[in-house]
Amino acid sequence: MATSEPTLRHQLPHGLTDLFGEQAAAKTTLEDVLQATFRRWSYTRIIPPTFEYFDSIATGASPQLLDEMYRFFDREGRMLALRTDMTVPTARVVGAKLYDQPLPLRFYYIGNVFRHEEPQAGRRREFTQAGTELIGAGTPEADAEVLAVVVDALQAMGVAEFQINLGQVAYLKGILAGGRLDNGELYRIEQAISRKNDVELAQVLTALGITGDAGRAVRAIPHLCGGEEVLDEAECLAVNAAALEAIAWLRRIYALAQALGIAEHIILDLSEVRSMAYYTGITFHTYVAGLGFHICSGGRYDGLIANFGADLPAVGFALGVERIMLVTRPQVEIAPQVLIQTNDRADGYGLAALARRRGLRVEIEALGRRGSDLLTYARERSAKYLVVCEGAGYYTLSDGAAHRIVTRAEIEKEIAAWAL
Amino acid sequence: MGALIVALPKGRMQDEVVNLFRRAGYAISPDAASGRKLVFESDDGALRFILAKPADVPTYVEYGAADLGVAGEDVLREGGREVYEPLGLGLGKCRLVLAGPPEARTRNLRLEPNLRIATKYPRLAREYFQQQGLSVEIIYLSGSIELAPVVDLADLLVDLVQTGSTLRENGLVELETIMTSQATLIVNRASHKLQLRVINEIIARLAAQIGS
Repeated sequence: MATSEPTLRHQLPHGLTDLFGEQAAAKTTLEDVLQATFRRWSYTRIIPPTFEYFDSIATGASPQLLDEMYRFFDREGRMLALRTDMTVPTARVVGAKLYDQPLPLRFYYIGNVFRHEEPQAGRRREFTQAGTELIGAGTPEADAEVLAVVVDALQAMGVAEFQINLGQVAYLKGILAGGRLDNGELYRIEQAISRKNDVELAQVLTALGITGDAGRAVRAIPHLCGGEEVLDEAECLAVNAAALEAIAWLRRIYALAQALGIAEHIILDLSEVRSMAYYTGITFHTYVAGLGFHICSGGRYDGLIANFGADLPAVGFALGVERIMLVTRPQVEIAPQVLIQTNDRADGYGLAALARRRGLRVEIEALGRRGSDLLTYARERSAKYLVVCEGAGYYTLSDGAAHRIVTRAEIEKEIAAWAL
Repeated sequence: MGALIVALPKGRMQDEVVNLFRRAGYAISPDAASGRKLVFESDDGALRFILAKPADVPTYVEYGAADLGVAGEDVLREGGREVYEPLGLGLGKCRLVLAGPPEARTRNLRLEPNLRIATKYPRLAREYFQQQGLSVEIIYLSGSIELAPVVDLADLLVDLVQTGSTLRENGLVELETIMTSQATLIVNRASHKLQLRVINEIIARLAAQIGS
């Protein structure tokens, strides 16, 4: 019976997309490059599940992220959620299962995460994050390593010019340590800093009773951005040992960055306070010219893993693969290099297998086309060579311009040459 | 680096803002800025101005289609766009108010289950009433909000006023100020990071003209 009900069958929910063809191939290539890079730094892959209990996923999440979470219920009525990042699941695995392994642990991940937000700059409601977590090392060396992995990964993907703005939330939190602020109050301060809105910041600080040297130090934060001189300034403004310690830590990272040869990419930027709510130390965002949004972010989150068991310091970063594709898109050939009409002969299939072993992309004609139909199809598919298996050890080879009849030995020689 | 792109709000504030840039030392020939052109440059080519609908300026800036922009705080809070707001320009000062017919003054809004509010600022209005614990129905209109209570489309309205004369002319009174607003310089986050020196100089030159 015909129905007039509207159907969603052909549609996608807002904020989702399909990737195929060259785009999907380019994304796969980027992911391969990233994984290879991470493995060279001795990171191994972690594959947590796509959804978990809400209580796990919500650990350390900001109110905004809680709003963006996809939640649903299991058969027993317990709340589940799709992961919104890969760091929290990784923290759960480490805290609950891997706490007695030799430290530090180095994990990389690549996986889809889900946030109910408006699609923006390549990032949709389901998007792919790739990144690393270095766990069990609460040292400036570990922080510097993460920055070096970021630089290596971006360069490996062909992103040549970029800038890492490196901040330190421990500085702000140190200055405010005496104030006994709750999370909401801290959030208001961070928001004003992250808008660089001096007036709003001054108002918020006055309202919260943060005055004198502490107020002056916080009001300077939006402007502490640049080279090493920023650290001198911040040191002068520091009101207590915690704030001084936070700056000394950054100074050490900067020295390590110079030794690692990555300092040219780093801008010291104490206004970098806006990020995941669970960050406790360094935080950073990476920017490239021509894109109005950051392409990569990360930081130190020493308190997070303790929520799941062992209390281990950790630092990591994540980048959005789709967003990277706005900046660099590897050219990936996806057309078949050889189209073979085997005419159902064993030597034809054998030839196809040989070509695949040589690393060529080989397509076997599956619709039984011959003659001009097959030539037309080969052109439509942009196949470089067409081989028709004629029997009795002969093959017709077409390269779009000419046809010639060749022997088995000749065609094998040709295939070897194409594979180079 | 080419010219920095500055998105300006077309209309009411346009001339004032262009003049502020002139006073800050960016010569802009009258020909360039007075015509119907939506794109014009400072005489030295350092800044390229684009004229956008005021409510769209934060969008241009958030996406980096413009490096800088000028937008009212009302528009910024309503749009929720992620941009830097380093400098209030002291121009276009106005207030977002709750207004209605005079008898609304004596009504206890908390006891009314079905208030209808007309506004061009649905997000700010909703936030405000939520904080006040009032349950309301928001009716979005794109202009002439004062009309809504007059023809009983809504009980009250939330709108921007400068002097309040339009309200008074329509027999309406202000009940509450929800927020104050002024024109604000906004900056794309990535642009600010990548061109810190140039953008800080623009901010400093503008700041010197408004004495803040």
